[in-house]
Amino acid sequence: MGLLEVKNIGYSIGPVHVIENITFTAMKNEFISIIGPSGCGKSTLLRIIAGLIKPLRGEVLYNGMVVEKPNRDISFVFQDFALLPWLTNIENVKLGLSLFDISEEEKERKAKLLFKKIGLEGFENAYPNMLSGGMKQRVGLARAIISDPKVLLMDEPFSSLDELTAEALRADVINMLRSPDIPVSLVIMVTHNVEEAVELSSKVVILSERPSHVKDIKRIGLRYPRNKRSKDFMKEVEYIYKVLTE
Amino acid sequence: MFDYILQLLVDISFSWVRMFIALGFSILLGLGLGIWAATSRRAEKVIIPIVDILQTLPILAFFPFVIYIIVAAIPGYMGINAAVIFLIITSMLWNIIFGVYESIKELPHEFMELAAIYGMSLKEKLSKIYIPASMPKVMSQSTLSWAIGLFYLVTSEIFSTSNETFMVTHGIGVALTQLALSGNFSEYIVGILILIVFVILTRLLFFAPLERYFNKHNMSNIQKTHAIRFVHLIKSKLKLKIPKARIPIKFAFGKKRDTYSLSNEVIIKQKKSEYANLVYAALAILFVAVIFSNKTLFSYELSILVALLASFARVWFAFAVILLISVPLTVYLIFFSKRLSAYILLFQIISSIPATIMLPLIVSLFVKMPFHSEAVAFSVYFLSGIWYIIFSILSQKAYIPQSIFEVKRLFGIKGLQAWKKIYLYAIVPGLITGAVTGIAAEWNASIVAEYFTSSGIGNGAVLTSVSIGIGKLLDVSLDNGNMVLMLLALLNFTIMIIVINRLVWKRLFNRIEDIYK
Repeated sequence: MGLLEVKNIGYSIGPVHVIENITFTAMKNEFISIIGPSGCGKSTLLRIIAGLIKPLRGEVLYNGMVVEKPNRDISFVFQDFALLPWLTNIENVKLGLSLFDISEEEKERKAKLLFKKIGLEGFENAYPNMLSGGMKQRVGLARAIISDPKVLLMDEPFSSLDELTAEALRADVINMLRSPDIPVSLVIMVTHNVEEAVELSSKVVILSERPSHVKDIKRIGLRYPRNKRSKDFMKEVEYIYKVLTE
Repeated sequence: MFDYILQLLVDISFSWVRMFIALGFSILLGLGLGIWAATSRRAEKVIIPIVDILQTLPILAFFPFVIYIIVAAIPGYMGINAAVIFLIITSMLWNIIFGVYESIKELPHEFMELAAIYGMSLKEKLSKIYIPASMPKVMSQSTLSWAIGLFYLVTSEIFSTSNETFMVTHGIGVALTQLALSGNFSEYIVGILILIVFVILTRLLFFAPLERYFNKHNMSNIQKTHAIRFVHLIKSKLKLKIPKARIPIKFAFGKKRDTYSLSNEVIIKQKKSEYANLVYAALAILFVAVIFSNKTLFSYELSILVALLASFARVWFAFAVILLISVPLTVYLIFFSKRLSAYILLFQIISSIPATIMLPLIVSLFVKMPFHSEAVAFSVYFLSGIWYIIFSILSQKAYIPQSIFEVKRLFGIKGLQAWKKIYLYAIVPGLITGAVTGIAAEWNASIVAEYFTSSGIGNGAVLTSVSIGIGKLLDVSLDNGNMVLMLLALLNFTIMIIVINRLVWKRLFNRIEDIYK
């Protein structure tokens, strides 16, 4: 049994079928990318997994229990960061602990530690508008992992950034997730960038156009950190392109 | 000799306390109702249409009625002050509700998802999302509310001096009326200057710091380029300083029907409006039946209709004169003047004097003229409406694309052609919004413009009284305690305002939206 199971999920908006019968299993220590053409319902699927949207058909199981609403083991990183502009960066990060009954000092201590780890020391009391896009997403990431979640959901986390910033952040994310003091044991990321999916994930779920279903699930066994120019890397990229455009 | 200055300071403090109490209530109510309407579909369906109608009603005309009811419930000093504060709230509240409502509706959808993911409680949602998101607009709307509220405050204070039972004891409106009517003109002028100083100080010491505080997360922006920052600076300046028309166009009369929406929806909406028309027709028939069934009511109705017609003519005549002056003036300022901001500053200072406070002075100046009362009424209507229209048009300058100025110069468009092809198009949206608010302000002034006695502060002389008019009718029915006449008059008044909104302004707004989209 997997850590998280997506079973026969279906979803429609009005008369439009967006998602049709999507099923896959996520195991511990996996990094799963969900990739597909734009408008195929990737983000909707991720929100269903998060418990933000109720699926019309099927169910999501986490540790064998049906996910019906957001839960504190599952956290979320947004495409456009979703930082509250009127709160300082550290207050934004502390929001991630809303569901936890711990003292304000403890929250402060944890958040400060995290700022050091993500390389934003000194920006704790600034407002998000002072930060560049890459820095904002670091704050978004810090907010998502401060509660030590088991599952991290990421909705196109790098697509609002320029390519250079995205590349640097991707490398940092891999390092961070592999470090022993971060207990995240499953990442599910939505992306439309094939290279990004191959660079980061151990498994790529390839979706079709609307109404989307799973076209293929591709395992990627390359060792981290992955060399984007290597032959093996290119082969994986080409394979996924082929499946996507079939 | 400076005793009177001290006295004026005491009086203005009383007025300011009333204003701050009203503002406090308005902000609390505005946040509560605005957040409620923005977060609950059911509340939205009730609150928004009601606020929409209320904000276009000249509620000052209801003051005689409100003061009668409240003083009957809470006699004496407390009741009168409660009535005045209640009235000021009715002038301050609506735009704050819309400000809060818009702020929350404009929030990215992700913020709500965020609240769900991290399991925020209602208290946390309020303190971390809804209230901080609304406060910048609450503050900018509050400065506007303050200006409108001042007009209501002074007008209700002045109004109170014409009737002993309902007199406010301390207040700048009362004090200035007394000074002017006792012929102390130099002291009256000093009083006006003190009022202006108070208005400016309140802006600088109260509103400006709060506005800065609630916008602090936007101020430290190092990301934006110079050009963008400059645009933002201009925009924020215009927003802060120009009392832009109170009603945002898209909210003024409810949303326009989407022409592209699914046909089903249109049909349902049409059916609904057919149903509503049926209800209106039934109510109208009932109304007419009741009026005809009773001789007294019938004679009341006739006198009310004549009074409305007379006041309507005055209000719209003053509006026509305002147009004759403000259109060329604003076109000059927008397209030719190099000192627009200096003029705006000057206008702001002048317009910070509520028009009705000039009433005692105008009465004294015109007292020997033929048609003295008509001249007084015209002046008060004129002064009450003109600034709304001028400021509303000037605030449009920010929205006129720079390329229009360049086109005009490149092709050398001048004279009549420039008027027809450029100037009018540039100012009309601001003009329409300004007209709605300006005319509402004129109607608001009617209770002091058309009829005014000094029985509250002196010998009871009738200082100004037009032969017939709705403002006079409301005042006189209060003096006589004729509640039936007063209520019937208010009903007619309300119907007239709603009918004009639907037949004139709503159509104009729709046409303008089509053209300028």
